[in-house]
Amino acid sequence: MRQLKLLALFLIAGTLVLLISHSRRTPDITRADTKVEGDRKPAPDFTLKDASGATIALSSYRGKVVLLNFWATWCGPCELEIPWFEQFEQQYKSKGFEVVGVSMDDDGWPTVKPFIAAKKINYRILLGNDSVTQLYGGVDALPTTFMIDRDGRIADVHVGLAGKDEYANEIQNLLAGRETTDSSRGARPVAGLLTGATK
Amino acid sequence: MALGLLPVFLLAQQSKIIITPPAQIVTKPGATVTETLKLEAPPGIHVNSDKPKDEFIIPMKLTWADGLLLTKSITYPKAEEIKVGSQDLTVFTGNFTIQTVFEAPPKASSGSGAITGKLRYQACNNQMCFRPVTADVHIPVVIE
Repeated sequence: MRQLKLLALFLIAGTLVLLISHSRRTPDITRADTKVEGDRKPAPDFTLKDASGATIALSSYRGKVVLLNFWATWCGPCELEIPWFEQFEQQYKSKGFEVVGVSMDDDGWPTVKPFIAAKKINYRILLGNDSVTQLYGGVDALPTTFMIDRDGRIADVHVGLAGKDEYANEIQNLLAGRETTDSSRGARPVAGLLTGATK
Repeated sequence: MALGLLPVFLLAQQSKIIITPPAQIVTKPGATVTETLKLEAPPGIHVNSDKPKDEFIIPMKLTWADGLLLTKSITYPKAEEIKVGSQDLTVFTGNFTIQTVFEAPPKASSGSGAITGKLRYQACNNQMCFRPVTADVHIPVVIE
């Protein structure tokens, strides 16, 4: 019994050391390996209000490729990505693609609506909450972006600012039903970010 | 998912400012005293200054609750100007201090207690930002 306890303690300590050392390598956690289709987990469904007051369910986007972007008006790197997403929305919408932004602003619509107007954001923005972020692992850093395939499964996740070309490649591949490979994006895989995507 | 994103959670924890616990204030009724709050942003992390250039950016703000001492003024350090992408930001990095001038009310009774404050800030690195944080600050006070 005592030996088992020691073994358990050793395993927990080892796991923590590995996680902490991994967390110090910032570039590694900003992107994950695109999952091959069979390994993708369903994107947890949620319902949130959009700027017009309509209740929107993520599951209503089934059949489309979705770029689900958690962001905030106070987040500089998020702001850098917004013009790219506006362009993607315009360029790929007719092919079955949509951007869905989930704002994590504590002040809500009084802050978010003027920002949407100032930036002329052309894609749907929802007001997020902690219940939804918990479904997606907490979303401790912004931007955090999930690429969701036509079957509603998480194909990739980016924590932090990613590259415009990287997103474009992923969108094109997901629209075509192809699996994005490391060679197409020059990214290093990150173990674990996509595992257990369901709650 | 939660376990997979644990490294990001740890990074968010590592983005928090280190606040050196302030030393005890010893003062007299009617006297003013300057308290220096020592802060440290972890390497690679910047926090927005008290006067950001963009209206949507969350500024650093220190507030003190009314109590044994009255707050006369709060002075933030000179901010650094940096550029992240196309954004011009005014930020604090590394070690910095915020100075508060307190006054003990002229009719204050002698005794001891504490004053409490809240430091609200929002931190980022060059790739990502972390949710706003409000940290509690306590200063033991003795009025002689």
